[in-house]
Amino acid sequence: MTPLYDPPATLAAIRAMQLADSGFPSGVFAFSWGLESALADGQVCKRTLADWIAAELRTRWYRFDRMALAGGHRLTGAMLTDWFHTVDTLMPAEAPRRDSTHAGDALFASACALRIELDPGAKAAQAQGIGHFSVTHGVFLRACGLDLPNALATSALSMARGAFSAAVRLGVAGAISTQADLLALAPLIAELATEPDPAALPASGMPLSDVALMRPRSGRLFIN
Amino acid sequence: MTAARVGIGGPVGSGKTALIEAILPRLAESGIDTAVITNDLVTDEDAERLRRGGRLPPDRVRAVQAGACPHTVIREDPTLNMAAADRLEADFPGLDLILIESGGDNLASTFSPDLVDFWMFVIDVAGGDDIPRKKGPGILQANLLVINKADLAPHVGVDFPRMLAEATAVRGGGTVLPTVCRKGTGIAGVVEHLRREVLFK
Repeated sequence: MTPLYDPPATLAAIRAMQLADSGFPSGVFAFSWGLESALADGQVCKRTLADWIAAELRTRWYRFDRMALAGGHRLTGAMLTDWFHTVDTLMPAEAPRRDSTHAGDALFASACALRIELDPGAKAAQAQGIGHFSVTHGVFLRACGLDLPNALATSALSMARGAFSAAVRLGVAGAISTQADLLALAPLIAELATEPDPAALPASGMPLSDVALMRPRSGRLFIN
Repeated sequence: MTAARVGIGGPVGSGKTALIEAILPRLAESGIDTAVITNDLVTDEDAERLRRGGRLPPDRVRAVQAGACPHTVIREDPTLNMAAADRLEADFPGLDLILIESGGDNLASTFSPDLVDFWMFVIDVAGGDDIPRKKGPGILQANLLVINKADLAPHVGVDFPRMLAEATAVRGGGTVLPTVCRKGTGIAGVVEHLRREVLFK
């Protein structure tokens, strides 16, 4: 008799939903990755918020975070530590580099508290101060049992949800309207959450958000 | 992890930072190796104030920004504070105590038991003598309730003995300590409570 559902796939979906949920403690709620400054400077507004997030998904996430995460998911041991070094080298600007390791530290703390054993190669990287978030996220999601496609979808959804959540807390958008925007972005997230070529290196470049991310601001509510 | 982690929460302006400033010298006198984490809402104001105060070496005061949510960073998602505390313990082996000061919040703020071993809630008489009667989770659930600025009671029309009695009653007899942090009044009692209930030394 054919089962009505596929238990492993259902379990993977449940795990992915839990790990992408805003209630999952990973520290990301305190980062806006440039959105706060961009909103303050008028580079993005309520009307263009969803476009900004779509652009972030297509550029920063697709070209950099996706690659970094995939390496973290695929590699182990010394090769994983080397991958952290590679990603660190590809982040020449100090502010985003520092914030990435700061966010990574929170994810390490979450794993430790949850007794989720991360790969020794990742722990070695954190001890060296290069535990970047995206790579750590790949290691973490693999340790939680997610395969790479689900890990990528979880990461992309988390990035978009986090940006909308930041906009809500900054008073720019409503919690209901942003859910409509997030629903509309789902096909894009699905389209982008594809496995990268293992030989590919992360590369990013979105001048507006890169500059916004590095711009110092007084009276900031978010870490960046 | 070996250091006790103690949360200090309470409304804006109630005297959380002043309490830390007041207890740090007494903790040092008692040989209790201490570090502090502040959770400022917008700036590093509280951390800078503690660093400037000179009661601790500057690198023993770490600031965690709260992403517009002072309660989230101590309760729903305390991982940034946990990471900061872990880092402090790695940087200063042998720490006895890490004080984690919440950003100013409302009476509903509470600390996650994943983050702290013990937490106290600081209110002040200038906020009104009806605060204990409002029974927010901060008032009810904190291990220790501190009522600060007790000396202001006559100036703001507060019957302080009654406020103290009502606070003790709503907490079911849980400890309530009055202080005037700026003048050092009641601080010895807070430190003694921490030593007895948390540090065991």
